[in-house]
Amino acid sequence: MQTEFNKYKKDADFVAFKTIHERTRDISVRDGKPDSFHEFDDAGLLIEVMRNGHMGYSATCETTPEGIKHAFAKAIAMTDTSAKFPVFKFDEKIRPPSKGSYQSASKRKLDQLSMAEIYDFLKQTSLRMKINDKIISTTSDAMIITCQQNYMSSAGAEFDQTFDIVINSMAATAREGKETQTRSLHGGRGNCLQIGAEHFNLESALKDCDQISSEALELLTAENCPTETCDLILSPDQMLLQIHESIGHPLELDRILGDERNFAGWSFVQPADFGTLQYGSPLMNVVFDPTVAHEMASYKFDEVGNPAERKHLIKNGILQAGLGSLESQMRSGLRGVANSRASSWNRAPIDRMANINLEGGDLTLDEMISKVENGVIMFANKSWSIDDYRRKFQFGCEYGKRIKNGKITTTLKNPNYRGITVPFWNSLSGLTKPDTVETYGSPYCGKGEPSQIIRVGHSSPYALFKNIEVFGGG
Amino acid sequence: MKTDILAYLKKYTTEAFNQLLADEELAFNLHSEESDFIRFSQSKVRQNTTVQQHEITAQYQLDQRTYRLRYNLTLDYATDMKKFASVLQQLRQDLPKTDPNPQFVPLVNNGLSETFKKATRPSTAEIIPLICGTFADSDMVGLWCSGPLRQAAINSKGQFHYFETDYFFLDYSLYDGPRAAKAFYAETNWNQQAFLNAAQQTKNTLSLLKRPSQKVMPGSYKTYLGPMAVAELMGMFYWKALSRASFEQGFAPLKKLHDKDVLFSEQFTLMENLSLGYSTPFNALGELSPQELPLIEKGRLQNFLISTPTATEYKLTSNYAEPNEMMKSPEIRAGTLDEAAILKELGTGLYLSNLHYINWSDPQAARITGMTRFACFWVEKGEIQGPIQDLRFDETLYNIFGKNLINLTKNQQVYANTSTYLKRELGAMKVPGALLREMNFTL
Repeated sequence: MQTEFNKYKKDADFVAFKTIHERTRDISVRDGKPDSFHEFDDAGLLIEVMRNGHMGYSATCETTPEGIKHAFAKAIAMTDTSAKFPVFKFDEKIRPPSKGSYQSASKRKLDQLSMAEIYDFLKQTSLRMKINDKIISTTSDAMIITCQQNYMSSAGAEFDQTFDIVINSMAATAREGKETQTRSLHGGRGNCLQIGAEHFNLESALKDCDQISSEALELLTAENCPTETCDLILSPDQMLLQIHESIGHPLELDRILGDERNFAGWSFVQPADFGTLQYGSPLMNVVFDPTVAHEMASYKFDEVGNPAERKHLIKNGILQAGLGSLESQMRSGLRGVANSRASSWNRAPIDRMANINLEGGDLTLDEMISKVENGVIMFANKSWSIDDYRRKFQFGCEYGKRIKNGKITTTLKNPNYRGITVPFWNSLSGLTKPDTVETYGSPYCGKGEPSQIIRVGHSSPYALFKNIEVFGGG
Repeated sequence: MKTDILAYLKKYTTEAFNQLLADEELAFNLHSEESDFIRFSQSKVRQNTTVQQHEITAQYQLDQRTYRLRYNLTLDYATDMKKFASVLQQLRQDLPKTDPNPQFVPLVNNGLSETFKKATRPSTAEIIPLICGTFADSDMVGLWCSGPLRQAAINSKGQFHYFETDYFFLDYSLYDGPRAAKAFYAETNWNQQAFLNAAQQTKNTLSLLKRPSQKVMPGSYKTYLGPMAVAELMGMFYWKALSRASFEQGFAPLKKLHDKDVLFSEQFTLMENLSLGYSTPFNALGELSPQELPLIEKGRLQNFLISTPTATEYKLTSNYAEPNEMMKSPEIRAGTLDEAAILKELGTGLYLSNLHYINWSDPQAARITGMTRFACFWVEKGEIQGPIQDLRFDETLYNIFGKNLINLTKNQQVYANTSTYLKRELGAMKVPGALLREMNFTL
């Protein structure tokens, strides 16, 4: 590819070639038998060209000299037309000349993991959850991703990054009469990490299976979550969604600048809010941190070469910085982060989350529960919805427990809650200690026109919120 | 020189099938697109991307086992055949290490077809100044998408179905501060005057939003849902509600409808209607799906979407749904409500043009939650009073399309699928507006 790049690197004000080669094995086993075996071996090239201050893109899987020539010519033609109507005129500062490499931390590379090993793990875990005739379906699946990314630019950038990623989920569905309930490992596909084959620890997974299936059965006879305003404790595997939807998205600078208004939406956050808005209670400290080993969206550079650094987004409850790439920083004059990312070679990079983490507090979980006179604790996300300005949300969880007079009492099914972002975060009144922080993520964050999904990571302790509207199903 | 994709595909698949051993079966699915995406913000170009993407999925079958492996074609024959050889070697190595699949369907020859459709449209070089010029007096944000798209379902038993189309859409909204109106423009052939008229109509809708904002408290209100709002609700029928496999495996929002514990309104009929012409006539297996399939007819569940793999596993009869058992081209049949009578029939209540971010809040009860979005109004005595602040609803499909459905509009709108996640999607939906006795708003 270097030879091809050299042919074109002087043919525009700026030229970059990004190649992606990503292999995804998506294997699903249901009731101990094959459900679906899909694999995607995706390879292609994204060409970036800057003409007269406007950046344009051409993507192709025709990575032959002829295909690249055609793609480059299309990039120039379309960008020249678009450059007459630009939203903003950029300069070369949006593409730094970074050099280096990154590799996910792993003990055994995922490309050494055989189909037989994966299938055996999924089969055994799927069968383990079938503990009772009331369990009507058990699913165990894994997405195993190896991704190689290479970037070179006429500004002198040259870096490569290799990611090993596992997304592993297990779920059991129980039915009795007209009642059906599903319990899973941390909700849908929340169990995501950059890790090697060592992730597949059968002994530990079988213990998870036992808990999943017994809780699915427990939910069949549980009472519905009450409808009332009370204290609410959210587990880290629900907090991941709360952080994602009500902190991550509203802080994206391209949303604040209005680029997403037709699709994903705008934001309640205004440029003047940075440095002033009391986003949450003083307990709230949120960081953008793509430097955490094993978290889903860690990297050394974003996809245009901006070096990744840990930065506070919210400190002691006050909004500090947005999630804006070098392009959005130049457009808005606001501070941002290294977050220019694309779903693959066939989409242009935009402002995305990476790892957005809520830092721990000073309570043990028992101490937190003991502070609740009347409340509910909820585990594992199963439903999510929020408005296009990221104010009014409603989330649902798989499993809940009632808390009365500082003690956990009965199991609750269909636990849901709703609120408004800033008042909700200002009602935060306790966080468990850093050693209770758990790390999850999502492979499916959607945004952009044309649309993109991206992988994100979120870590959080347990969090206590006061006076929240909770309710059940039916 | 530009490659003839159809000729290339024939040559490639013929050679691939020649490499199979006696008991091996192989099917290919093609998704090929040459897409121009122009992203607009503030009526100017934010990003322009052109994409050449040719994905092929090899479905390899042997001894009751199936594995699907998708990869990209470079359109260099030697490179692509070399890739195929390595794919085949991997499949031969991996598949025997698994167990027989309960959904296994032996490949059969479902026939031959070649379909070509083509839109006439301005070139991308022409469309950029045209769109920027048309909306120069507005704050427009959205996406132009155009270019050829090809899909095929081919197998080693002799089946060869090929579909090629070339279409465009402009999916956009106009803003005036925080107030916005949403629109689409997509036709078989570009009509400059129709486009300009539609743009003006969107600007007119935006001007209605200049009226004083109305504060509406949570509660139940008589509600009119415009076709775009109904289209958003339709998304929940896509989301596993009509999938037979999901139903069997416990995710069954329409179980009460199936068991006849609750019915939808007699006015509600939902069809899968491929005759809208926006999707391939064949499914991923190459089976020819019926042109029309009643799903819910006069309020009663008539059919789930049943793919042949699901039919095999649960010993049912296939209706040749896609393997993912999602609708491709649904239609909610029209009602009798005249466009001109909507406000009068609504009287006092909410007029909702769009809904947003809908999700199941209790799937067992077919209960959903979501938000109002874009041009939504408070109406009193048949007159629009002004735009509302966004409201959250939490309501069951049984209430919306059942006991609370007063009428559906005579007028139906067709919306081409504008989804571009990973790749462009074919398909469309045809929906009317809906007048509801009440709808429950919670926040």
